[in-house]
Amino acid sequence: MTVPGKPSPRLDADAAPFWEACRSHRLQVQRCTACGQVRWPPAFLCPRCHGRDADWVTCSGKGRVYSFVVYHKAFHPAFEGDVPYVVAIVALDEGPCLVSNIVGCDPSRVHCEMPVQVTWEDRPNRITVPLFRPIDG
Amino acid sequence: MSALESGLCRYVLLTYAHSGDSLRRVLDEISGDEAPFGLFGAAGGYALAARRAMHEFHTGPDTWKHIAVGQRQWARLNPRAILRDRPLTLEDYEAAPFLVEPFRLPDNCLVNDGGRACILTSLERARDLKQPPVTIMGLGQHNPSADLYQPGHLTGPTGAQAAFRQALGMAGITRSDIDACQIYDCFTYTVEITLQDYGFFEPGQGAQWFAGGTIEPGGAMPVNTSGGQLAEAYHMGLTPLTEAVMQLMGRCGARQLGPETATKKPEIILCSDNGGVLQTHACCILRRWTP
Repeated sequence: MTVPGKPSPRLDADAAPFWEACRSHRLQVQRCTACGQVRWPPAFLCPRCHGRDADWVTCSGKGRVYSFVVYHKAFHPAFEGDVPYVVAIVALDEGPCLVSNIVGCDPSRVHCEMPVQVTWEDRPNRITVPLFRPIDG
Repeated sequence: MSALESGLCRYVLLTYAHSGDSLRRVLDEISGDEAPFGLFGAAGGYALAARRAMHEFHTGPDTWKHIAVGQRQWARLNPRAILRDRPLTLEDYEAAPFLVEPFRLPDNCLVNDGGRACILTSLERARDLKQPPVTIMGLGQHNPSADLYQPGHLTGPTGAQAAFRQALGMAGITRSDIDACQIYDCFTYTVEITLQDYGFFEPGQGAQWFAGGTIEPGGAMPVNTSGGQLAEAYHMGLTPLTEAVMQLMGRCGARQLGPETATKKPEIILCSDNGGVLQTHACCILRRWTP
């Protein structure tokens, strides 16, 4: 599925490995090699211990909805076809939170603490974004 | 304040102005890693905070409607309020459309042209000015988070709790000495979480506290007596601050706290400001000056 015209993510040196992994449908976040803190967003310093070195760990793709909102109005023309759409803070099982969309489910069914699983959306310009859908059951 | 006290300067002009159109563009462009997912504007971040709050304690539209309606009552008395001629009832609120759910249209502040200013000087210089001065009793500031979406502060305590403690300590008063509040109200939820963190009610008790006109003309704790940013005009932190100053000077006409509005003539007013999405907080306690 491709959706034209949506804003591209920040593709700077810190974040590029994350988005590169997304193209292979792999969700990975940084882990500080000094203190072990798993973090998001990508950065060149650990926000906890200021360590400079980090490696990337692959996440399970599972998490839960920490909070969510439903956009009933598009603030950007590329989202006009999507309203009402759900933006959520997803707390990954590994710790950090990601902002993403909850898809594959009526917005009225979404609730805080709902278990979710990553799903991938390939967009133009070789961008793939991690979205989340409910884990059935 | 210390620049004035040390004599480095004699007058300080606090001012803020904007055109609504340029402010709207700035707010719409508040986005970074979140833009690919359609999270735009200030409403998205505050609505995420408000939704989580609905999960953690009793809050939601049944609480916020009293804030939206109560502030609109004040706006009816303010000739400068943009929504002066647009009354709002609880039924109107419940029928209003969602923008970024759980926020309905009346939960959102205005975007407008305009500006505000006030002048600081020493009390010695202010004594014989044409207008009566207002004194600063206490200030507090606390900034709990730089990272919005690794949340831990969105449902309280926000910076309001620690900032208020500092301000009360500097002023040498307690919460029960406060006669009215002018609270930064970018959204209705901001008013609730700020007053909750200030300790006016326990978490989740807001619906009862706000119900029955507590913050309205005639109420026990008037809040945002100009109509606030929801109904008068949005001028960042100067909407609450300048209203507090004007009320303590006694220059508010039909909305003046005191016998005109069946409220207590104010001695002490508490003002708040917050930045980001509840990431920074400042508060200020002001006092009417009596020679």
